[in-house]
Amino acid sequence: MAASRPSRARPFARRRLYGYAFVAPVVVFLCAIVVFPLGHAFWTSLLRVRGLRSTFVGFDNYVHVLSDDAFWHSLVISLAFTSIAVSLHMVLGLALALVLDTLKSARTALRIAFLSPWMVAPAVGATIWLWLLEPQFGVVNYLLRATGIVDAPIAWLGEQLLAFASIVAVDVWRGVPFVMLLMLAGLQTVPPEQYEAAAMDGASTWQRFRYVTWPNLRYLLIVATTLDVINTVRHYDIVGVMTAGGPAEATQVLPVLLYNTAFRGNRFGEAAAIGVLLLAIVLALSTFYIRVTRIGRDEVAR
Amino acid sequence: MKRRASARNALLWLVVIVALIVTLFPFYWMLNTSFKPASEIFASPPTFLSSHWTLDAYATILSQRPVGRYFLNSLIVSLGATALSVLLAALAAYGFTRFFEGAATAFIVLLLFTKMLPETLLIIPYFRLMSELGLLNTHLALILAYSSFALPFSVWMLIGFFRSIPLEIDEAATIDGASVWQTFFRVILPLARPGLVAVALFTFLIAWNSYVWALVLTTDSSMYVLSVGIANMVGEYRVQWNELMAAAVIATLPVMALYALLERHLVNAITAGAVKG
Repeated sequence: MAASRPSRARPFARRRLYGYAFVAPVVVFLCAIVVFPLGHAFWTSLLRVRGLRSTFVGFDNYVHVLSDDAFWHSLVISLAFTSIAVSLHMVLGLALALVLDTLKSARTALRIAFLSPWMVAPAVGATIWLWLLEPQFGVVNYLLRATGIVDAPIAWLGEQLLAFASIVAVDVWRGVPFVMLLMLAGLQTVPPEQYEAAAMDGASTWQRFRYVTWPNLRYLLIVATTLDVINTVRHYDIVGVMTAGGPAEATQVLPVLLYNTAFRGNRFGEAAAIGVLLLAIVLALSTFYIRVTRIGRDEVAR
Repeated sequence: MKRRASARNALLWLVVIVALIVTLFPFYWMLNTSFKPASEIFASPPTFLSSHWTLDAYATILSQRPVGRYFLNSLIVSLGATALSVLLAALAAYGFTRFFEGAATAFIVLLLFTKMLPETLLIIPYFRLMSELGLLNTHLALILAYSSFALPFSVWMLIGFFRSIPLEIDEAATIDGASVWQTFFRVILPLARPGLVAVALFTFLIAWNSYVWALVLTTDSSMYVLSVGIANMVGEYRVQWNELMAAAVIATLPVMALYALLERHLVNAITAGAVKG
């Protein structure tokens, strides 16, 4: 690092120009494709858009959205969906990683197999599940009836609570592998000496987990949870394909409400306001994430 | 002691097998259904291994439905996004590590911020922008959108990669008479190949698996990508599940093949971000 320092500071006027040439494309691209649309979204949230006509209405859309029961209902559904799904991702992902870590044989093959739900497009995965859960001919109902667990076919996506449980289940199927992958990587970073020391002290399996594995993974667990929360709270595809928010709005999480408001209800201004509110939620979570990562780094540095 | 250990091992394997069944059963059922003749889909009880297995469903979707067209659209869009995003990310990463090292970290933080944006928020302005530019129902609109999702991670990852390539290599190339562009394209890019492969794979997967953007930006069914085409088939009056599952197989196969081939690269790339912070 120190040896290369002088060359970096080499006072070439032309070098700088080259530097701009390398960096400019991505900056221009991001401004055009991300920054400008983001600003445009804020602006749209202040407009009433009807067809091609838009009128400036100030914060009316926000007032309207915040006084609308549908928004608060969606917020509750989103929070319930996110907290239940993320908790299950974390618990099952960690458990699976711990189990895979102890099995010395076939670990790579198992990792590939377990990661497959995460590799499939969520929209396609959701479609497969629609067929599995089909009330009349779906294999899930068949298996439940054949084993005598239920005696009448269940309309998985037809009843409010069941539909909510179903989208959570499918999201768990999709989300566990990623957590498992992160945790498996994290487990490789635990220094083996610590396990050896614990074994010498006669620690039980639980004590080894509690006093060696857990403290080493704690930071990664917080990071993974936050990332997963951010990704789950804004996820559209699974719910969009499976229920589109129904029945009776029982699964209308915020991204689905946003989509339905904009592209089914044609109310772009209100949809943009919902989007800005959703962004505020994600940003609050991201701030938490960034703060945690910084704390984690300091801890590691120490 | 030994018996207890083997009992524990058996229990762990039991857990693994149960988890494996739950994880993989949907894939088995997708394949199983896709090989059934139409008459057998609604059979009760369902057949777990069809004795009349056939490729009819595949033949039908490729000849009578535009699934081949969807596949081509997905491929064009994903390859386009991959090429654009890798090129932009490599340029930016080289620029920052070689010319503006001081600003690199600030830029990464900015990029990570854009990674947090809810995509449904950006879709609204992006949809209106693209319709005003007359770019709805074009591959270009999707290529631009998908590149923008993948860029933050790609630039971040490649900055880390280029930092590990010593500046002495650039200097040696310059002394040998290479121009800045030659140094970049002929010397540095080949050295960064593992990083470029990981970034390319990552972008391709994001683009291939994406759904809601294509749903909004394409209204003409000849421009549908696989995910949209497949999800739309569910809305039909009488769903032909064997054909639908055959289409799902076609959508899943390329991803799985890429993944199996390049598992190492991808896993390293994904975990590097989260584990190393």
